[in-house]
Amino acid sequence: MRRTVNRLMAAAIAVGLAPWWAAPAFAKDKITFAAAVFAEAGRGDRVKAWIESYNQSQTGVEVEPIAIPFSSLANTVFTQMGGGGGPDLIRLDQTDFFAAIPSGRLLPLGDVINDKDYPFLGPDRFMKVKDVRYGLLFDTTGYALLYNKDILPQPPKDFESFLAAAREKTRDGTFGYAYRATMAERAGFWQDLCNYVFGFGGRWSDKDGNLTLNSPDVIKGVAAYKKVYDAGVTPKGADAATYRRMFWEGKIAMNVDNGGVAAIFNRNAPQLPFAAAPSPFPDKAQGLIMTALVVNANTKHKDAAGAFIKWAYAPENQKTLQAAMGTSVGTRLDMSPEEQAKQPWLRVYEEQMQNALPQLVMGHEDKTPEIQQIVLEQVLKVLLENADPKDAMDRAQSLVERRVLR
Amino acid sequence: MRTSRQLEHMRVLAVLLMLGFAAFPIYWMFVTSMTPSSELFASSPRLLPAWSQLSIYAEIFNTIPVATWLKNSFLVAAGTTVLSILLAVFPAYALSRFRFAGLAVLGFALFATQMLPEAMLVVPLYSIFGDLNLLNTIPGLVLANTAFVVPVITWIIKGAIDSIPFEIEEAARVDGCSRLDIVLGIVIPLVAPTLAAAAVISFFHGWNEYVFAQTLVSSENLRTASVGLASFVGELSTPIHSVMAVGVIYTLPAIIFYLFAQRYVVAGMTAGSVKG
Repeated sequence: MRRTVNRLMAAAIAVGLAPWWAAPAFAKDKITFAAAVFAEAGRGDRVKAWIESYNQSQTGVEVEPIAIPFSSLANTVFTQMGGGGGPDLIRLDQTDFFAAIPSGRLLPLGDVINDKDYPFLGPDRFMKVKDVRYGLLFDTTGYALLYNKDILPQPPKDFESFLAAAREKTRDGTFGYAYRATMAERAGFWQDLCNYVFGFGGRWSDKDGNLTLNSPDVIKGVAAYKKVYDAGVTPKGADAATYRRMFWEGKIAMNVDNGGVAAIFNRNAPQLPFAAAPSPFPDKAQGLIMTALVVNANTKHKDAAGAFIKWAYAPENQKTLQAAMGTSVGTRLDMSPEEQAKQPWLRVYEEQMQNALPQLVMGHEDKTPEIQQIVLEQVLKVLLENADPKDAMDRAQSLVERRVLR
Repeated sequence: MRTSRQLEHMRVLAVLLMLGFAAFPIYWMFVTSMTPSSELFASSPRLLPAWSQLSIYAEIFNTIPVATWLKNSFLVAAGTTVLSILLAVFPAYALSRFRFAGLAVLGFALFATQMLPEAMLVVPLYSIFGDLNLLNTIPGLVLANTAFVVPVITWIIKGAIDSIPFEIEEAARVDGCSRLDIVLGIVIPLVAPTLAAAAVISFFHGWNEYVFAQTLVSSENLRTASVGLASFVGELSTPIHSVMAVGVIYTLPAIIFYLFAQRYVVAGMTAGSVKG
């Protein structure tokens, strides 16, 4: 027995110590680029291939893509940045972008690129705070109603007909509609809620930056969200990845979603007869998705990061990136009629972009994550505990004023 | 006679039911990994695997670096196990056998380290590991995990050592054994079942750990299976078949390790529960 124990221990020590001399050695000068999109099958592979084409054109520098799940990207990179490290380049969601600026985590990019050299799209203006550029628009898209033409030949034009159609199409394992309503998907829940609030004329703040969380129009949007929830037309509990999959399997009739999702449907289910239409809400305003390409202030490779950025925003490379992402990218690109015909939904999204608003609390951009948390907690009370939307939003307004803006 | 046989049958049935309840999630993962796309969201779910889809497992190994993830997870788990046991045995012996000022405080301090969540310590740990060049290395992960495992297993091993009669050690001392000889030659063999239980706890901690593996390692070549599995959850879509197939593959080594060690575990976990 003792001999067996000794042998087992010796073997275990040998295995256990193996990693101590299995440490990696980086042969090339690597800069790292973290993004959630790299984790995605298909789209992620294409964006990685885009980066690989940069690596092929370089001799001394290599960009290493790092895939971090969307739900933990901000926590992971902010933790790393707080510890003095982190990836050199990061693709940040708009909310996280604004949250990172006040803590000095992002490198100002004014001396890396000259604005006049690039035809940036309109939303790029949000990449500057107090005239200092902290990021570049990486990709952007608006929201529209995606519908399966096999299930619903014509899209609804208003909210009442939308709800009626969703009810009618919910049967035999098929659902009329899908959206997010759990804190497990906080960011996505907020995005979906923004579409309803904006779509019913609400805004999180007025033009002077005063909070308007309990304005009548915001309450209308929240009430509409609740109406859909209570109608039983959604696969409750299904996360976005699941219900989007359900959509391309023909199990969901409608979905208000962003242009990236339309591109995924097209790539993963080319035969799916889907189309896009304006969202069926009284106000045409909808959310604007935008991500920022930023440079970590802790980077020791500022020049290499700058060189990659210049390469990434060259017109031919933007075009490749657009094909990979399936959405608009940072700069304006011309599309041939043939290219447009291949992706007919793009035109709808382009038109919707005119009415798109950032999913931020304007005037309090850096406080958006905290305000978002409080608002979503109150909306959950409306959805799950049948709290009155007005009472809930009054409470949200009061809590934000006391806890966040004091 | 008949009643006792019926009781026996009912017991077996109850055990089988409980076994089925415990094993069902793994079975469900396996069935889902092989369910054709068109049936994934069918209103009547498929209960038996579609064997024609078995090729998904070959595809997984061909297209996703699952083997690398598993290798990294194994190195982290095995490294954590070995280092934790090596570091825990001596303090456990000291806590059990020595009487000195501050003994109770030291014991409590060990437990107190368990009151801090990983997420709270990960920023300072990241900073320290950065200074020590331990970021993006498997040894760094082993060290971080070991720091969390050692206090727990120290107390488990201490409980087992408490139950060894002092007389055995006194006899060894009369024969000329040093303290070190006693620990290595007498105590460790006597608490071997407890060490096996501690090894299982350490191994599973290292195998399943996510926060450190996600934060302290960024290179895809050093990614562990827990992080690799989470990386399937995309911003806009998630490949359900791949998640389920990798989930099954990820679970198997841990189950095999547990089956190998399980006969020691129960004895080991209860070794210190009764003194004398």
